[in-house]
Amino acid sequence: MTDTIEVSALHKRYGHNVALHELDLRVRPGTVFGLIGPNGAGKTTTLRTLLDIIRPSSGTVRVLGEDPRRGGPALRRRIGYVPGELHLEGRASGHRLLAFYAEVSGSTGSSGPVLGTARDLADRLGVDLNRPVRTLSKGNKQKVGLIQAFMHRPELLILDEPTSGLDPLMQREFLAMVREARDAGQTVLLSSHVLSEIQQTADEVAVLAAGRIVADGDVASLRLGSVRRIRVRIGGADAAAAHAAFERIPGIAGVDASSAADASGGVQVAATIEGAIDPFVKALAQYEVQDLTVEEPDLEESVLRLYGNPSPASATAPTSAPTRRPRRSRGRDGREGDRG
Amino acid sequence: MGSILPVFRRSIRESWRSVLGWTIGIAAVLSLYLPLYPSLGGSDQLQGLIDAMPKQLVETLGYDQIASGAGYTESTFYGLMGFLLLTITAVLWGSALAAAEEGGRAELDLAHGIGRSQYALETALSVLVRLLWLGAFAGLVIWAMNGPAELELEPVRIIGASAALTGLAFLTAAAALLAGAATGRRAWATGIGAGIAVLGYILHALAKQSSDLEWLNAVSPYSWVFGQSPLAEGVDLGGLALTWGVGLVLAAASALALRGRDLRG
Repeated sequence: MTDTIEVSALHKRYGHNVALHELDLRVRPGTVFGLIGPNGAGKTTTLRTLLDIIRPSSGTVRVLGEDPRRGGPALRRRIGYVPGELHLEGRASGHRLLAFYAEVSGSTGSSGPVLGTARDLADRLGVDLNRPVRTLSKGNKQKVGLIQAFMHRPELLILDEPTSGLDPLMQREFLAMVREARDAGQTVLLSSHVLSEIQQTADEVAVLAAGRIVADGDVASLRLGSVRRIRVRIGGADAAAAHAAFERIPGIAGVDASSAADASGGVQVAATIEGAIDPFVKALAQYEVQDLTVEEPDLEESVLRLYGNPSPASATAPTSAPTRRPRRSRGRDGREGDRG
Repeated sequence: MGSILPVFRRSIRESWRSVLGWTIGIAAVLSLYLPLYPSLGGSDQLQGLIDAMPKQLVETLGYDQIASGAGYTESTFYGLMGFLLLTITAVLWGSALAAAEEGGRAELDLAHGIGRSQYALETALSVLVRLLWLGAFAGLVIWAMNGPAELELEPVRIIGASAALTGLAFLTAAAALLAGAATGRRAWATGIGAGIAVLGYILHALAKQSSDLEWLNAVSPYSWVFGQSPLAEGVDLGGLALTWGVGLVLAAASALALRGRDLRG
């Protein structure tokens, strides 16, 4: 079975600026693929290339078996897209806007069923389609953006930072929509700089940094989530003893223990833990835990921490990342000269 | 698929207010100027005033012919206020492609089932239809006022003059569309469109000043259509065809320009 998206050696240059370096990407049909990376890593550039909004400088791109450049409107009708920066302007109502896109991208024949789906999605996300789109809040515009991508049930959904502007409740609804799409056999490629969003939906992940894929594999095997920031308040201990005890936990760093500001007699401990969380939990069990927060650091921090500053030399640096990308060995028209 | 000219229809639907506004503006200008002709155009007083003005100024404004209904209508409307109004609308509407791209709408539109050429051409068609309406409307109003204002215009020449004015405006709009399609920048679209219209007018005015400069008429679209008075002598069919032809070529080129490049994000 051919992959829904096959990108190989995709290179994109803007003048002297290289936005994408020899990017390889494969998305299998019926899966959710997450593209994560810090802002400016090249996520949007990659996604736009798939829709022929921008063209590769070199390399090949296949979407649903076709070259986006040649596939044209017929190919794009099979794709739903949410741009990274969604601008909805004009006097037209949400209904009007969706009716237009249903008309141009709906399957042949009437756009009635598509608009029916659009109305259901609008109810679900709670957005008023009677209002002119320009008067909608950012979150509500984003919902309209999601609806126009999902409503015609395209084979492939390409979603660039789809949850930006959505409140947590709606983010959850969105994640449910993505899972339903996968269950219905649709393929989803979504980009994000929020790791948890990807962790909750994606089957596979690629980490993009400075125009290169620095790691890919299934979500669990990526160690991105393995750095955690913890804050805990424990009772019945003094700060110095707690400090010493926590220092012994494997993977812990930056331990800071201090007596709590209030009169409870507790001790506040803050630290970061890399790797397994279990030793920490076990160690914690002997105390009276009054409060506990475990949070993931932001993605940018994780990527930089694990994969370093991905210059050509250090891009292959990490020690135990999942499927490390082998340096490409296939001869490629002498384009190696583009590097550095 | 299955729907005809969706972008064109959306554009018309979204711009009817603007079209209505410009229509009212044209009606206002015409009903302000034309009824004055019987008391102004033919009067000796006005002729005396014009004789006292510098010859170059009179020729630039086309006032040398103002004593006839045809000369009056041309120098007040077709060559001046009508030209101005239609040029402004042409530049504004011609910037639509660039505006859609700068505003981010083009990215979403073109991620759907719309081809790039289709997008540019349907946008151009929408501008064309709206300009045709304004030109036809102006012609109708002039025709209706022909008798009451004692202009004594030949109806068929009103058609010619309106076709000339509309063609000139379309050329301007198409230049703006092409600039927008090639750069994705509204500033370029507006600048090129307005620049071509203004330059054409200036070259035409200069060409009138001396026989050494008459060659400038060859490069001024304004001269192509108004070099020979469309109302007094009948429109210059060659110039009319050239103007419309260039406009259509520019519009077609905008489709190619938009196809060939990355959209701006």
